[in-house]
Amino acid sequence: MKIHKKLGRHLLVPVALGIGASVSGVALFSHGAGASTTSGSASSGSTNSVTYGGTAGSGNAPITYLKLDPSTIGLGKTLFVENCSSCHGDTAEGTSRAPNLQGLGAATIDFWVSTGRMPLADPTIQATSKPARFSRQQTLAIDAYVSSLAQGGPAIPIVNLGAASISAGEGLFSTNCAACHTITGVGDALADSIYAPSLYPATPTQIAEAIRTGPGNMPRFGTGNFSDQQVADITKYVQYLQHPNNAGGIGLGHVGPVTEGFVGILIGLGSLMIAGYWIGGRAH
Amino acid sequence: MNYAPIDWADERLGIAKFTRKSLNKIFPDHWSFMLGEIAMYSFFILLGTGVFLTLFFVPSSADTVYHGSYAPLNGHVVSQAYASTLDLSFNVRAGLVMRQMHHWAANVFVAAIVVHLLRVFFTGAFRKPREINWLVGSLLLMMAILEGFLGYSLPDDLISGTGIRIAYSITLSVPVVGSYLASFLFGGQFPGNSIIPRFYTIHILLIPALMAGLLGAHLAIMWHQKHTQYKGKGRTENNVVGIAMWPAYALQAGGFFFLTAAVLAALGGLVQINPIWMYGQYIPYKVSYAVQPDWYMGWLDGALRLFPSWEITGFGHMIPTIFFPAVLLPGVTFGLLMAWPWIERHFTKDYEVHNLLDNPRDNAWRTSIGVGVMAFYMVLFFASSTDVLANAFSLSLNFVLWAFRVLIFVIPPVAAYVAYKLAQEARSASTAGKPRKAMVVFRSSEGEYSTEESDPRHELELKRIALHGDAPMPLPEEAKLHGDAEDGAPLKKGEDFAFIRSSAAAVIAEEIGERPSHGSGVYQVPRGTPGAGGGLFSPHGLKVPKERKGSEEEK
Ligand code: HEC
Ligand code: HEC
Ligand code: HEM
Repeated sequence: MKIHKKLGRHLLVPVALGIGASVSGVALFSHGAGASTTSGSASSGSTNSVTYGGTAGSGNAPITYLKLDPSTIGLGKTLFVENCSSCHGDTAEGTSRAPNLQGLGAATIDFWVSTGRMPLADPTIQATSKPARFSRQQTLAIDAYVSSLAQGGPAIPIVNLGAASISAGEGLFSTNCAACHTITGVGDALADSIYAPSLYPATPTQIAEAIRTGPGNMPRFGTGNFSDQQVADITKYVQYLQHPNNAGGIGLGHVGPVTEGFVGILIGLGSLMIAGYWIGGRAH
Repeated sequence: MNYAPIDWADERLGIAKFTRKSLNKIFPDHWSFMLGEIAMYSFFILLGTGVFLTLFFVPSSADTVYHGSYAPLNGHVVSQAYASTLDLSFNVRAGLVMRQMHHWAANVFVAAIVVHLLRVFFTGAFRKPREINWLVGSLLLMMAILEGFLGYSLPDDLISGTGIRIAYSITLSVPVVGSYLASFLFGGQFPGNSIIPRFYTIHILLIPALMAGLLGAHLAIMWHQKHTQYKGKGRTENNVVGIAMWPAYALQAGGFFFLTAAVLAALGGLVQINPIWMYGQYIPYKVSYAVQPDWYMGWLDGALRLFPSWEITGFGHMIPTIFFPAVLLPGVTFGLLMAWPWIERHFTKDYEVHNLLDNPRDNAWRTSIGVGVMAFYMVLFFASSTDVLANAFSLSLNFVLWAFRVLIFVIPPVAAYVAYKLAQEARSASTAGKPRKAMVVFRSSEGEYSTEESDPRHELELKRIALHGDAPMPLPEEAKLHGDAEDGAPLKKGEDFAFIRSSAAAVIAEEIGERPSHGSGVYQVPRGTPGAGGGLFSPHGLKVPKERKGSEEEK
């Protein structure tokens, strides 16, 4: 094909036009589809029976509490002595290196161990969640052992997401949790090397445990703050945040306009500048 | 083709002469001249998508109970503004893609304006006679930023509401008149019920109208003064070398519009922006951590974060701390921006007319100042995400903040110095300013490599050059006859549009390589000098240029 170079670029314009039209077609189509899925979930209303993974309790109580099996205390003791006593002491009474765990309740122990925060490697920095060291059975055994040492503290909650309201949860979450964990739950850096972690990996039980026990620098929300129903509602909303309605295409990590700005400048303007370089004149 | 409608219009409006002239208008062609076009086309997309949004958006703070498609907010009391934006996102067909295109277009719009401004700055295009357009452009930038902020605020979601809250405090911080200003603007105390409808009126009527007017002026002045051009073969201060409006430039520009539309549609359809349903209704006692404004406000947010919480007193009163980063800084920024042509002239004493652009490396001082200033605002911009950076790199937030407080003083001078040295270096390189030759790499059957210089230009172009030389052609006779009424040749009826008719043929002719002809070739036409025709009150015309001191290196 003998086409003058410059002209060739002009002739490619209709091609660009075609791409533009087809892309917007795709976009329109996908949003049509997006809208109908959301209205689908709306029809099931706020008593949405979809559960977002995790252990859903039975019955109508929003939260049931796990009864730990006393026969596992022996195993728990062995595990504790092997993994924890070097810092927390043989009977969890605390040492100069780590706090007393007696009377904190099974929920506290369970949260710290199941999120992988304990056992700790470096006591000088904030314990962060990492892959848990122990299986669920082993964790429950440790919980059983430590909570057998002294009375008190909340038991391990099992959230009945079926009895929870996602929209009540939204209201409670935005009022009580967003100020630290951000409204989308991605988490962020608070002052002085303290982080409000991302809520995306947490299981329903861990979320309820965090609310009730207030790990680290997080405030503790006791029964005077939230009823069990409200804890379940928040938990359900946090579970929703882990898989939110991402209408509109590729989500940009939910950290807000920062990533949007980069995409707008680098991909939006960047590709247009390349296009301009392509069809425009160059150095003479 | 039937020309009757055109003749009909011409007999009544006399459009032929102007149209002919316009179609023959010569535009210098360079990719960097298309940056302003990106901004302009994004503006058009903003108008189009914005009008769509107005059909569904309800600009009211009045409460309503939400019962739409988005289950997590079902039963919440929200404002009508927020509810209607939710409906736009989930229930209006194509509503979400329109919202997202509108928002992406806004982000690209301001970015394109900034890059366009940098092009104008670094090439010295703002020098005489183009200072007026520099001012008009600066106004357009300020309005675009304000317009974006207002639009971002309209949905009344938690994040944008926090932004309005900050804007309220900033207004309050203005000494003496702050509290009056804030209560005029908000119709009383924050939040009140007036701000959404007021922002709406300003966002969809006042500023777009002003911007459309200013954009018209911007283009008219550019048209009238004729575009600048880079230095190069056959290009002088007194001519314009470029491609003709019809068909080459029109096709190029029209195509570029569709490309812009395509990119914005692709972003709008495929990449999520501002998912307001995840943010919830703005309620003054609620706040989310990690809120930032859209990118073009980022430098102001960064300045707010970096500025220390000093209590500064003046005239016996404490001046609120945020006054300095949030009112004074933008004031000084835009003040200096608008004053730049005169600031530079103050130092260069250059009173001459410039139609040829500088290569940034040829004016090391200007380039290094520009780079330094750019670096300053970039640091402020990145400082607006101290928390995000601290979180992403597991650093202490306090450390990141202090690092930026140091960097804001260190990076700009370093960047300016490096730019100065690079500019000097580039200018002294032996290949500076010479187009690079393409090299073709050959591999012999023995596996040996060799290179040979090649001319990347198309064979037809080379053929034309062999015939006519590679200087730009003057406008061809035919076009001149029809394009320039001053040469007095009487035109027969029906002949007025001969040029339009013949140009399509010309494109094809060139394609086959028959003859280089007008249409998509490169032409040169003379350019007039504004003010050369004699002054209104003085017969001398142009003022005698004042003696130029210093800055010999520029010539
Ligand atoms: C390297 C020393 C170390 C080891 C080993 C260790 N811990 Fe800890 N633990 C700490 C420190 C230090 C803290 C306080 C950390 C903080 O508040 O961030 C802590 C805190 C805790 C807490 C929270 C206490 C509170 O007041 O909320 C629990 C529960 C806990 N540890 C359980 C365990 C268990 C169970 C194990 C064994 C599986 C274990 N830890 C192993 C050092 C250790
Ligand atoms: C004052 C700030 C603050 C508030 C308010 C707050 N949190 Fe936290 N949250 C934290 C911090 C800090 C941690 C990390 C604790 C640690 O590891 O030392 C945390 C940890 C958590 C975790 C554990 C995440 C993981 O790593 O597995 C969950 C779940 C959680 N928070 C949920 C909530 C919920 C739900 C609310 C609202 C009811 C809430 N938080 C309110 C600061 C906060
Ligand atoms: C005539 C021109 C315009 C009209 C009619 C218009 C109209 C609107 C309307 C009705 C909204 C609210 C609905 C919504 O947020 O989804 C909106 C939002 C917005 N506008 Fe505009 N607009 C125009 C120009 C602009 C310009 C020039 C900019 C930027 C420089 C801009 C930036 C925004 C932004 C950022 C939003 C928020 C969008 C979002 O919700 O994500 N608009 N506009």
